[in-house]
Amino acid sequence: MDFTSYSNGSTDRRVMVRLRGIKKSFGKREVLRGIDLTVFRGEHVVIFGPSGSGKSTLLRTINLLEIPDEGTLEVVGTQYWPPSSRFTASRKITELRRFVGMVFQQFNLFPHLTALENVALPLVRVKHISRKEAEEKAAEMLKRVGLLRWAAYYPSQLSGGQQQRVAIARALGMDPQVMLFDEPTSALDPEVVGEVLSVMRDLAESGMTMVVVTHEINFAREIGDLNVFMENGMIVEAGGREIYEASSNPRTRQFISAVL
Amino acid sequence: MITVLSTIYDWSLIWQYRFDLLSGLEVALEVAAAALVISVVAGVIIALGRMLKPPYSWIPTLYINLFRGVPALVSVIWVYFGWSLVLGINFTVFEAGVIALSLLYSAFLAEIFRSAFLAIPKGQWEAGAALGMGKLTVFFSIILPQAAKIALPNVGSMLIGMVKDTSTFTVIGLLEVVHVTQTIVATTFQPFVLYTAAAGLYVMVAFAFDYIFRGLEKTLSVPPTGSIAKLLTSRKIRRVERIVEKKLAEETI
Repeated sequence: MDFTSYSNGSTDRRVMVRLRGIKKSFGKREVLRGIDLTVFRGEHVVIFGPSGSGKSTLLRTINLLEIPDEGTLEVVGTQYWPPSSRFTASRKITELRRFVGMVFQQFNLFPHLTALENVALPLVRVKHISRKEAEEKAAEMLKRVGLLRWAAYYPSQLSGGQQQRVAIARALGMDPQVMLFDEPTSALDPEVVGEVLSVMRDLAESGMTMVVVTHEINFAREIGDLNVFMENGMIVEAGGREIYEASSNPRTRQFISAVL
Repeated sequence: MITVLSTIYDWSLIWQYRFDLLSGLEVALEVAAAALVISVVAGVIIALGRMLKPPYSWIPTLYINLFRGVPALVSVIWVYFGWSLVLGINFTVFEAGVIALSLLYSAFLAEIFRSAFLAIPKGQWEAGAALGMGKLTVFFSIILPQAAKIALPNVGSMLIGMVKDTSTFTVIGLLEVVHVTQTIVATTFQPFVLYTAAAGLYVMVAFAFDYIFRGLEKTLSVPPTGSIAKLLTSRKIRRVERIVEKKLAEETI
């Protein structure tokens, strides 16, 4: 089953991410039980569902932080898994990650570096641009998330919301074509959730292709072009925003009313 | 009794032989410093080896368990006499001392570094990987700087241990503190006075290293504290501030 037909008309039809028959087990526990998902350019895909449903694992499969046991992964026209040769596999994975940005639940900023250095480091080490240019670009990115004045601060001196915005700036600095968000607001105090969602909203409006795992149903309802409800390692239902108002699936309805 | 004490124990000998004692200390510090550099580099490599999947981790594990168990005295005799007999390599006493210490302390430091590496959250590796960094880049740019700070106090303790262990190298004739002391005792017959001086030197070194390593730790803390750290990072902070000011100026135009 492919859930592509639900995406809205504003996106062009260029496939950014295509997952086919993805299966993954941790030991005896089957976390993903055959997932098919296609993400088009400019589309905003929201994945929601109870904890343990496999949504984070699915997201992490897209940049191969989790290696699927079965199935194929194609990103922007290139198949990255299974690799064509096991000798080039790790190089291909690194290549894939250069244009798939990721934002983590726990931010994962580098605590020994300032906000600016956090954004500049991958530009220097991965894109191999000079430190001066990298820092200029990093400042530009921090400005975009409204944290330019905090450039010289260390993560420990920033609030959770600010840290997550630095993490978004860090990922954006690499000029990704797809952005993955793994429960970006779940570790935040309620009063700073808004500032992170607002940055994500701007990003969505700018046309970035986004895949977001979230419990923020109101936010999902706002940006979600394709909304995927997962449970027990399977996609139960996927659809447009109407899924939140009038899903035909009783389990989806039950979950949404429980979290709203 | 007190008068007897003062006539028997000639404390002025310490002052009289101060340069000999200090030259012994200098040798001990040189051996320990050279061995520290080698042990830190080797220790990092062995720690990484130990973190590989078995069977690759077996050799580093064996090395660690073997050399942590060997006393310094045995190690130096083994290197200085043993290697020259079996392999025909002749080391100077200084070289033999450095090698003997490096063999032992690279094993200790490997365990210290391993626990420091494991203390870095997995998310740091993942964040680096997700940004397209290779494993080596993540290790050197992200993991090592953080792990170094964690390992630092223990490295300081190890260094104190290394300086103390040089005392056993008197058996191969290294002119370190104990050897120098023995020589002076042989002519002055004042072991209590001179070994007290020797002990005092070791304790002084321990205090000095403790002070230095605490300073280093402070320098490496985030955000940097202490005058040295402020001095080191002030240029960086000014550079960042210039960039920020430039961007803010662009905004207002």
